[in-house]
Amino acid sequence: MSSPSPATLLSLRVNGEPVQVAVQPHHTLLEVLRYQLDLVGSKQGCDKGDCGACTVQVDGEPQLGCLTLAIHAHGRDVTTVEGLAAKGEGGVHPLQDAFDRWDAAQCGFCTPGILMSAEALVRKTGRPVSNGEVRSALAGNLCRCTGYTKIIDAVVEASERMAAGDGAESANDASSSPSQAAE
Amino acid sequence: MPDDSHSDSTDDASREMWQLGGTHRKVDAMERMRGITRYTDDIKLPGMLHGKIKRSPHAHARIVSIDTSRAEAMEGVFGVVTGQDFKIPYGIIPWTPDENALAVDKALHVGDGVAAVAAIDEDTANEALAAIDIEYEVLPALFDPEESLASDVQINPYSRKGNLSKKVLLEFGDVEGGIEGADLVVEGEYFFEGTTHAAIEPHCAVAFVERGGSGGDDGLLTVWSATQVSHYLHRELAKVLEIPAHRIRVIQPPLGGAFGGKSEPFDLEFCVAKLAYKTGRPVKILYTREEVFYSHRGRHPMRMKYRTGFDKTGKIKAVDARTVLDGGAYSSFGLVTTYYSGQLLCSPYEFGAYRFHSRRAYTNKPACGPKRGHGSVQPRFAIEVQLDKAAVELGLDPIELRRRNDMGDGAKTVNDFQIGSNGFLECLRRVEESSDWKDRRGTLPFGRGLGVAGSTYISGTNYPIYPNDMPQAAVQVCLDRSGRARVFSGANDIGQGSNTMLAVIVGEELGLPLEDIRVLSADTDLCPVDLGAYSSRITLMVGNACMQAAQALRKKVRQSVAKRWEVSARRVTLAQRKAIDIEDPDRHIDIAEAFQMAEEDHGLLGEVGSYNTPKDRHGDYRGGTIGASPAYSFTAHVAEVEVDEETGVVDVKTIWVAHDCGRALSRRIVEGQMEGSAYMGFAEALMEQHIVDPQHRGVHPAPSLLDYRIPTFLDTPELRALIVEAPDEQGPYGAKEAGEGPLHPSIPAIANAIYDAVGVRMDELPFTPPKVLAALEQRRAREAAGEIAPHKGSARRIA
Amino acid sequence: MLRMPKFAVQTPQTVEEAVDALSTPGARIVAGGTDLLPNLKHHLEQPPVLVSLSQVGGMQGVEVDEKAGVMRIGARVTLTAVAEHPAVLEHFPSLAQAAGIVASPLIRNMGTLGGNINLDTRCRYVNQTGFWREAIGGGCLKSEGDVCHVVPGGRVCVAAMSSDCVPVLVSLDASVALVGPGGRREVPLASYYKSDGTRHTTRADDELSTEIIVPLPTAPRRSHYAKWTVRGSIDFPLVSIALRFDLEEDRVDAPVTGAHVVVGVLGSKPRKITRLDEVIGTALSAPNFANTVAERVHKQCKPLENVPYEAPYRRQMLRVHTRRAIEALIAEG
Repeated sequence: MSSPSPATLLSLRVNGEPVQVAVQPHHTLLEVLRYQLDLVGSKQGCDKGDCGACTVQVDGEPQLGCLTLAIHAHGRDVTTVEGLAAKGEGGVHPLQDAFDRWDAAQCGFCTPGILMSAEALVRKTGRPVSNGEVRSALAGNLCRCTGYTKIIDAVVEASERMAAGDGAESANDASSSPSQAAE
Repeated sequence: MPDDSHSDSTDDASREMWQLGGTHRKVDAMERMRGITRYTDDIKLPGMLHGKIKRSPHAHARIVSIDTSRAEAMEGVFGVVTGQDFKIPYGIIPWTPDENALAVDKALHVGDGVAAVAAIDEDTANEALAAIDIEYEVLPALFDPEESLASDVQINPYSRKGNLSKKVLLEFGDVEGGIEGADLVVEGEYFFEGTTHAAIEPHCAVAFVERGGSGGDDGLLTVWSATQVSHYLHRELAKVLEIPAHRIRVIQPPLGGAFGGKSEPFDLEFCVAKLAYKTGRPVKILYTREEVFYSHRGRHPMRMKYRTGFDKTGKIKAVDARTVLDGGAYSSFGLVTTYYSGQLLCSPYEFGAYRFHSRRAYTNKPACGPKRGHGSVQPRFAIEVQLDKAAVELGLDPIELRRRNDMGDGAKTVNDFQIGSNGFLECLRRVEESSDWKDRRGTLPFGRGLGVAGSTYISGTNYPIYPNDMPQAAVQVCLDRSGRARVFSGANDIGQGSNTMLAVIVGEELGLPLEDIRVLSADTDLCPVDLGAYSSRITLMVGNACMQAAQALRKKVRQSVAKRWEVSARRVTLAQRKAIDIEDPDRHIDIAEAFQMAEEDHGLLGEVGSYNTPKDRHGDYRGGTIGASPAYSFTAHVAEVEVDEETGVVDVKTIWVAHDCGRALSRRIVEGQMEGSAYMGFAEALMEQHIVDPQHRGVHPAPSLLDYRIPTFLDTPELRALIVEAPDEQGPYGAKEAGEGPLHPSIPAIANAIYDAVGVRMDELPFTPPKVLAALEQRRAREAAGEIAPHKGSARRIA
Repeated sequence: MLRMPKFAVQTPQTVEEAVDALSTPGARIVAGGTDLLPNLKHHLEQPPVLVSLSQVGGMQGVEVDEKAGVMRIGARVTLTAVAEHPAVLEHFPSLAQAAGIVASPLIRNMGTLGGNINLDTRCRYVNQTGFWREAIGGGCLKSEGDVCHVVPGGRVCVAAMSSDCVPVLVSLDASVALVGPGGRREVPLASYYKSDGTRHTTRADDELSTEIIVPLPTAPRRSHYAKWTVRGSIDFPLVSIALRFDLEEDRVDAPVTGAHVVVGVLGSKPRKITRLDEVIGTALSAPNFANTVAERVHKQCKPLENVPYEAPYRRQMLRVHTRRAIEALIAEG
């Protein structure tokens, strides 16, 4: 059997909660989140920084979980997609709500990473963002389903709503009375 | 539907639809965005082992010996399998079972699986792989399909015709006569480079054998797999593992993209199953990204020679096509691909006569298979560029030339396929109008151009992969007294939104909002058989089955309410979570109460629906069923490009995508399919190349998402989805496919736009800057020699 | 997942402790990890210990030292911070530009300037998995083997220096401060790199890059970084040119007093373009200035097939992008 390296006890905050976990030095943050802390929302698409599916926020900055040594998360504040809803009212973040209404998630595998990059953009900008700003900020996150169009629409709209102080629409209202799409 | 059993005797079909055609929150999107959804790799079972597959570093090699004893003796290693454990060959097409789960005697490409281990963790599994000793005898490897066809070295041991995997020659009408009598003959040779799917989720499978329960001592095998064809996986597992199908359960967890790349069984599924039997513990295998490239089954490289005859009005008199497909090491869907490379080309344009001759060769490369727009994206590129060349020669507007060849509603193609509804002209009109084609095309400066292309695609195939007369799709819908519905469907939602499509139908018919509907799909223990997510079959086939079941329930509910209200059932409609009296809308009850009335009258409310395809819409010749579909979608694109004449860089600004999907059941989902398709075509046009390097032992030069470059947010053009609806009587509410057709025209539309911009023909994919630049330099040389006039009369900055 | 070899991680608190930790043979430094971790996942090296800079105090500032006439940028400053820092934007716009187009936003949030100047050289035959390297016949000079797949018969590794910031920093006459057991030394980046892709810097194993020192402009200048890749993001540079022109006056039609053009992604060191003296004294905006410089670049740079793109095209594009960069500077005024 592969001989275990000495584990290190890591203390960090994950989605606002203090967490202690024993990690091996050669393990990544993504590995610890997914397979030890069972926070499986962060995805593994390439495991070497080429796709962005593992994007999490470390002290508010979007970073690649697959290229972050777990040990480097010691003492840091890590936010994953599971913690995103808490940042919005009514248990859903305006970005999640906008992605839902725009069908911006097809298979949804890249979506957690994209949401974490997008949240940092709208939070730091603090005003409605443009198509170009979204494209630049999300340029490290690959999506293979959507052609990006609906994602851009959703992020722009969420930023507008957030700037106007609107939260998410109730999911029930929206699907009970579907609107005809405006062309 | 023409069939009486589908219609409601108290028909209110003219009613205003309250769900169909709207926009919807998908039934399963929010949990994906919260990170709650469990994809296959998110499954963790007690005692689970991690498997890894050892792969051949040689493109073609005989396995002289394989010694697993060192690996088996390692602490933490629980099981090892080799090709000897999987001697029964399989293949997605029942006529061409030519692969083994792991190589039995020979490895046929770099990355071919040869052994697998299950261990306590991934590090230990990797150490065990390194401890498996294999002696290879390296054999000559063949990477070029023409050379392979001419060679005596046989690649695939199961092949009956050397390296010829499949050959099809079909002729309809008098092709030579049509060419000879033509006013213009356009001859062209095209090359479509191979590309791969690159779904962001790598393949993953988990298996577990439960012994002593319902499977008895032999056990019940459960396989969770990121597959888009759980039914075929179920069948092949039974065959290869020699276990009766009733002792196997296949579950497809939510899937992280597929695009055809997960539409047949792969080595990892057999390996986890066998290793789970051997070890008595659950086993998971997750591909690395590199392994995804070796598994491939992506778009075939095709070399295509076309001769097309036109009369002077632009009508197509005859088409003659010769195509060589580079198949890679295994058949995969290749038999079908070879037919599709010719059969799917015969619409939307009338061909006076048509002949195609297609040969698929085995090569020592990862096997090619179906990628979005299976088999027809490549020839579509060729024919649409041929049409563009003809328009230039004949001095016709390329949109007008296409209009003149449109076959219209209800036509029969030259190869005898029955077309139903046809919105192609409307697609052309929409892209023409939206791109401002008429005013802009003639006035754009040198370097800027517009190009058009059209296409057709199938909405499923009339004949299933293995011959049988049973339904192609079946759905069970149950209502419960709390006012909710459950839909059981074997179909695979791969991110395209098919579960939501079913909920929209059930919601429409039963008056339910989508959140009151639970769709349970792709679990062979829970759900009726469905053939899977391929050939764009689900909306039409599974949608019809679902509509049938939902309408039967609707009828029961309305009758029960009408009986109590003492009115005709015609007056009762179900919408907005209520049963409503149409003539007295103030009279209504909660839908739950209405369901309770029906349950009182009928007992448990459950209905099944099934759908089988029409069998009278194809040609009466060998192969005449392949490519026949209940209904055909139509697409037109206009692409706008800017070509940098000094660097050869093509900047695609906008693609307008008009697509006739029959009826958009959920508009944003349809738009998303159109945008995603156009993106994927754009990516193939400009960037993607799935190749091996013959100079370096046949390695894949770019098995990563760094070097196999797929477009980012910054590269992708504006995509404008324009939904066109020409309802087809075969489709549920008229719906046809939307997930694959809209890819096809992207590539030729971009090629044609490049020509419009700078006057060079890009007949080989992808249109990389070096290739575009080389073409520009050739053209400049010809202009300088006075052979041709400057394009658009341009005065060049560069001499 | 891609498994890294097992290693220990040390987290020193000070530069001195970090230098001590580097005395372990084979120890490697990790800061952002965006270069090292993929290489470890590819098993290109198996260090017994990683010396993490995550807890090391300092090395994170951007400071303008007017007295010394330099800007000091801590080696741990992230590329995002370099790209957005007002003082960098003011004094060294080409550096901000280069740092701001490294790879992707995510990489820039993690990767540091110190990491970028020490970015390992890259090659299409190297940056692959161990399995892949076995499949081409057992690696190469830079990995497990003893052959070169780029230059047949080659005995010196030609893996490419692929940093975006290095050509710019060389063009700006920047130096790197190295702290080792023997103390601190400053090395001009122009002489920091060597023609050996297996070991392409003069940094000793037990030395730590602590800061990058960039002389503040003493005269008006125009500078630019030109990069071309297939995609707008994520990719390493395929064409990489840093330009700096010192001017007699702050106008593009003023005579050029100094010309510094540095090209990356050739071999393992950046190439400083020579024989630019003939443009000295003429105006940046003079006819033929741009072409003359572009021709020099084209003549002196011969890209290799070491990175995954056609070398002849890259060579052709060096000329085009050099000329365009100068034209853009002129257009900006």
